Amino acid sequence: MAPLAPWKVVRLELEHGVSALPLDPRFQGLHVTFWWRGIPLGHLDLSNRHLPMTTTEVANLTSETIAPAVGHRLSPGVFQVALPGCPPPPPRSATPAELRSMATLDRPLSRLSAVARPLDSGSVSVVVCTRDRSAQLARCLRSLTELSEAPAEILVVDNAPTSDATRQVVAAVPGVRYVLEPLPGLSRARNTGIRCSAGDIVAFTDDDVEVHPGWITGLRRGFSESDVLAVTGLVLPAELETDAQVIFEDSGGFGQGYRSRRFDRGFLEETKRRGTPVWRIGAGASMAMRRIAFARVGEFDERLGAGAAGCSEDSEFWYRVLAEGGVCGYEPTAVVFHHHRREMNELKHQAHQYMRGHVAALLVQFARYRHWGDLRRVALDLPKYYARQLVHFAIEGADPRRPLVWPEIRGCASGIAFMLGSAARSHREARRSATPA
Amino acid sequence: MSSYVIAEVEATSPLSGLVVPKAATGLALIVRRAGRPVGFIMQPLHDAGPISPDALSALLSPLSAKLFLEGIRTELLAAADTAGFPSLTVAVCTRDRPALLEGCLTHLLTALGAGPTPGSTQGPGVEVLVVDNAPATERSREVVMQLSGVRYVRESRPGLDFARNRAITEASGELLAFLDDDVTVDRDWLGGLREAWAENPDAAAFTGLVLPQELVTKAQILFEAGGGFRRGFEKIRYHGQSRSDNRLYPCGAGIFGAGCNMAFRRDVLLKLGGFDEALDTGPTLPGGGDLDMFYRIVRAGYPLVYEPRYLAFHQHRRERAALRRQYWTWGLGFFAFLVKSYMTDPPLRPRLRSMTAWWFKHELSELVRSLSGRHALPPDMILAKLVGGVVGLFGEYQRSKRRTATIRDRFA
Repeated sequence: MAPLAPWKVVRLELEHGVSALPLDPRFQGLHVTFWWRGIPLGHLDLSNRHLPMTTTEVANLTSETIAPAVGHRLSPGVFQVALPGCPPPPPRSATPAELRSMATLDRPLSRLSAVARPLDSGSVSVVVCTRDRSAQLARCLRSLTELSEAPAEILVVDNAPTSDATRQVVAAVPGVRYVLEPLPGLSRARNTGIRCSAGDIVAFTDDDVEVHPGWITGLRRGFSESDVLAVTGLVLPAELETDAQVIFEDSGGFGQGYRSRRFDRGFLEETKRRGTPVWRIGAGASMAMRRIAFARVGEFDERLGAGAAGCSEDSEFWYRVLAEGGVCGYEPTAVVFHHHRREMNELKHQAHQYMRGHVAALLVQFARYRHWGDLRRVALDLPKYYARQLVHFAIEGADPRRPLVWPEIRGCASGIAFMLGSAARSHREARRSATPA
Repeated sequence: MSSYVIAEVEATSPLSGLVVPKAATGLALIVRRAGRPVGFIMQPLHDAGPISPDALSALLSPLSAKLFLEGIRTELLAAADTAGFPSLTVAVCTRDRPALLEGCLTHLLTALGAGPTPGSTQGPGVEVLVVDNAPATERSREVVMQLSGVRYVRESRPGLDFARNRAITEASGELLAFLDDDVTVDRDWLGGLREAWAENPDAAAFTGLVLPQELVTKAQILFEAGGGFRRGFEKIRYHGQSRSDNRLYPCGAGIFGAGCNMAFRRDVLLKLGGFDEALDTGPTLPGGGDLDMFYRIVRAGYPLVYEPRYLAFHQHRRERAALRRQYWTWGLGFFAFLVKSYMTDPPLRPRLRSMTAWWFKHELSELVRSLSGRHALPPDMILAKLVGGVVGLFGEYQRSKRRTATIRDRFA
């Protein structure tokens, strides 16, 4: 497949008005995100076929795109949002009075700041775990120094480094603390970060992102209700320059939309028969937990995460939060920009790791809570899904836009093998310690 | 006896109830937001009596989303700068319908900011021109003479496109708006045209929303319930030679708008050689000229803009026979246009052929739906359209060309 032209990532700040969008033949099109005073409201892919576009057309498309997010903020009762895996909320028809007030609203965008939820007052520690990616880390730390609200502390956990580069990058940025975790594994590094930090809220981000200046404020807004133990935020693509980046974003990326959500025990009960889709609560690149949550549900599972099974250490943690009666919140104003993997082989490796970690996490969850839906997903739903993909490919030919199916299938198998191996290891260890020396 | 009362509702003001005349069998609501038309609702009424504000609010609820969107859109768009609006000629082509002409001109002069009283003048740069087409009497001329600031010219060769082409040569405006004598303009009509111009300075043609002026007979209600002249409440900019949402574009030229309310850059009309005089030739072939012009403008690469705020009200045919005839002319005029385009635009022949096939298939399925009672229009109306289409497909354009040549010779 010949490489496709990149997409241009554009941020439109609507408080400055809208204007015509030009055609730029160097790109395939525009990936436009819409903002109003730091609040992300939606995005749109405009291929060159639709460009150039006049101011009027831009205004029409923009209002259609952002209406659900604007409406959800101004009148959540009318603009309800379904949780992943759940049926749409019961069709409570809005009252004529509610509809009237939406219909006659003058200057709706100017009202958005007034309806923003209050912020939690806890102190925030930021933890960035990294491993041998000093250039990317430097870019991430630069964005962290430009936050509109500085956190109480910033920690970099250097995970089993092969060189001194990360330590040097951190030393160059004042106000950032360096912590070494010699044993590999993202979960282990994150747990070290938890233990070495002091804030009421521990916020995590990755070395391959740049945070939005309002990131900390957004996370604190996500904690505005006291029963919320974990918050996730919006992850947007920083660039869509290569095929690998476009394919990743097309297959869903990390974004979970522009409307806040609340996940609680009810969500778990509603969805657990088919495996609660905790992976759609958010992404580890933009997440935070209250310190008290670790006391209640434990830390990150060190069998999971990059460097171990693969990933899903974040979603498995949220699973425990929900199962123990806590609440997870998704807050779209906590924004980070993620640099997706540029090379196709990196992307394939990532897809493999994702599914490996995903399957391992499902097995971990099943072992802990015996919710059969998690096992059903491993043994039934995922095999069925991939079988269908393969049948489709056999009939239609392989789809070059979907190169990740094979790595994903191998990832699933390898996740099961990993957990079997891990179970055998712990069994052996248990026997050894039981045998008198 | 069917009769709908037409009422206007301003969504941003508190809703008051509506008093409905006893005889009314239905209600047609023209909904505006801050003066801008945003929706049209037709609703049969089952019991007599006034409509309460709550009932009105319930009627409006399907438009809530659209009204909310409109609120966001208005906030995003600063008011378009209409300072550079060019000189404008409004041409009304008419033939022996003095009463309609008088209503048309009166509303027009009011909308242009001048009362219909003698001695007043229009705003700077606006000219009103009446082209009297082969009149049998002097009545139209007398109507014009009573009003000040309206120019009168007579075009003796019978045929709407002879009259329209006469308007092109007589007009002084950079922009030339055409109104049929059976429409009356909305009070904000000029504002709509100015806005469309300001937003699309590169456009060569503008079409507007057309709503009913009255719905007092069964035929008028049928026509409007069947879609009427409405092309929706969204601004649309047609530009380019294909559209991903419409594989037959631009051959289905009816989507662009209606000839009773349209405007053009005059230099583009001149460059394209004006309207095709073999279309719109009166009783024998009363249509197609507008479609042909829209099509040629888009094919020449100019943008064409549909603007709902550029609104006029049409006096629909009151009698059923006249309505049936109108549907017949739609089929006839459309196919005269398609056949003409087929002859003059070889690159698009495959698409014009597909259009023909699609149209007959579509109308036949409409006929079936109508026969089984699932269509707003009765079968005879759809059949009339179909028959018109067949006649149009088989030689009507060539016949009309010969007739037009005769007329030209006679008046040469």
